[in-house]
Amino acid sequence: MIDEGTLATIEFLPDDFKLKGADTTKLDMNFASQRFWKDAYLRFRKNKSAVFSLITILLLILLAVFGPMISPYTFQEQNIKETNMAPRIQGLENLGIFNGNETLKTSTGAKLKNAYVINKATGEKSDHYYWFGSDALGRDIWTRTWTGTRVSLYIAFIAVLIDMLIGMSYGLVSGYYGGKIDSVLQRFAEIINSIPTLVIVTLLMLILKPGLMTITLALMLTGWIGMSRIARAQMLKLKEQEFVLASHTLGASNIRVIFSEILPNIISQLITNTMFSIPSAIFTEAFLSFVGLGIPEPMCSLGSLISYAFKSFTTHPFQIVPPVIVLALLMLCFNMLADGLRDAFDPKMKEM
Amino acid sequence: MRRYIGKRLLISIGTLFVVILLLFVLLQYMPGSPFNDEKLTKDQRVQLYEKYGLDQPIVVQFGKYVFNMLKGDFGVSYTISKNTPISQLLQSRVPISLRIGGQAVLLGSLIGLILGIIAAIWHGTIWDTLATVISVIGVSVPSYVFALALAYLFGYELRWLPLLYTNDLPFESSILPSIALCMFTIASIARFTRSEMLEVLGSDYILLAESKGVYGPKLIFRHVLRNALIPIVTVLAPLIVGLMTGSLVVEKIFSIPGIGSLLVTAIQSNDYNVVIVLSFIYSAMYIGIMLVVDILYGVIDPRIRLSKEGPHD
Repeated sequence: MIDEGTLATIEFLPDDFKLKGADTTKLDMNFASQRFWKDAYLRFRKNKSAVFSLITILLLILLAVFGPMISPYTFQEQNIKETNMAPRIQGLENLGIFNGNETLKTSTGAKLKNAYVINKATGEKSDHYYWFGSDALGRDIWTRTWTGTRVSLYIAFIAVLIDMLIGMSYGLVSGYYGGKIDSVLQRFAEIINSIPTLVIVTLLMLILKPGLMTITLALMLTGWIGMSRIARAQMLKLKEQEFVLASHTLGASNIRVIFSEILPNIISQLITNTMFSIPSAIFTEAFLSFVGLGIPEPMCSLGSLISYAFKSFTTHPFQIVPPVIVLALLMLCFNMLADGLRDAFDPKMKEM
Repeated sequence: MRRYIGKRLLISIGTLFVVILLLFVLLQYMPGSPFNDEKLTKDQRVQLYEKYGLDQPIVVQFGKYVFNMLKGDFGVSYTISKNTPISQLLQSRVPISLRIGGQAVLLGSLIGLILGIIAAIWHGTIWDTLATVISVIGVSVPSYVFALALAYLFGYELRWLPLLYTNDLPFESSILPSIALCMFTIASIARFTRSEMLEVLGSDYILLAESKGVYGPKLIFRHVLRNALIPIVTVLAPLIVGLMTGSLVVEKIFSIPGIGSLLVTAIQSNDYNVVIVLSFIYSAMYIGIMLVVDILYGVIDPRIRLSKEGPHD
């Protein structure tokens, strides 16, 4: 037995123990542990194309919200006197661009025309400005393009919602419970997945009227499968780990284990996958509208605008340019943003 | 192996059955019966029902329906061209669509492979960046934008190729649509080949081959590419979906008389029969291709068939 008297007398001073060779060895202090999200944010910020995409998307959202408001026209207002007007923008018209001039090609040769001129003798122009021009019914393409962008953004939002609500839960539950539940759920998903989306949408069109609701429903029926697979695979990886066992032992319920223990560990992969599903959802809508199965007139989406302008795209090519560029930009930026997020969350993937 | 194929086959047949059932149920609920003519008396109607087998129990009707579908007897079109058998409508259209789709797959796979190989071999150089940019654009920009651009440039401005499909010049007319369709194929194959090649290039057996003195084209083609190409089979299924939706649009732009444009017309003119038959054909094609992909993958890569799950799980 050590008696308390001797124990109390032992005193430790800060420099009693020293690391051997502490003067020559340098301890690396730079690798302080960093939180996952901060780490991901720093990596994301370095990725130029991803940041550029994010800014472009934000810009497009702003334009979609405020674009139709700052224009004097509405998206369905027709002006029969001012059809097929070429783009004309205040200020820029003095520089010789966007001044409403249009070169028309006919069988006899090219002819310069300005539809804004109201008095041919004096060359006086009307005080109307169609920034992106007007279409065959005299509707303002600027307003219609941004109204159409709203539809695409709505679809993007819906795609995220479907992925997060249906796909994620389906996959997590299927993977977590395993066994019979998993078998049944997986066979069901497999069967739905074996029917082409095109066919599902087509059949929906037969029952319901074409429109935004039908497209939303079609996306709901098919959009969740990819996500559910990823969620299930991740769940299978994680559910045997010690921390899950630990929370079970501590009496956590199944729901709690799934959504507040396992989900935070896999959320980054799920976010990445969600981002990848946005462009494909936007594409589905634009494609349906283009073949005439989407948004009915007078409402418009980027796809239906392209389809409409396509009818006269050899005579008035300026009409098709704005919706095509906005659609391509949206798809491109969402894709690059998803790429950037994937690299930020999982730097190992970058080398692949 | 036999067990694996059997299981896949069973799932495919089950799915096809579900599709037919779905189509049959839909057909029952379509508005309007073919015999709701006011002038018909009750007796005549009963006679007609008997003639077309509509008086039989629904199960027997369904059995007949399945049999007819599989036999290729699809019934008649109502509105597009009245009372023409649908199989006759399809006869001239299917080859055109298949030709354009086939050309797009061939061209797209070839260019995609080359791009992917270049990007992987000269990884990190300007070539890699260029190939990546091309593939990102190809994935992001819808095929009809390409189709419109090609139609405007080569069909309208330069007049090198026909702007619209003409039956007299089937090959010249199919060039632009095939190119427009294959952009997505190029992009996805290039992306996939690049990442697979990089993974194989970093593997131990390539290090071994290199240290044994294998280098250059022999290393790339015999050791790297062969192994990298195994998983590329799995891209086939999504590509086919892309081609299907792409064909609808591209056929519309170049006014090609294929099955894609037929489907669009049929939906717009409410020709239910044609829509349902085309849905069946599209589904059958897709299910068939998925089956082939699964079996092929199992044959090439033993890990797949020995594990419980297929490549799509």
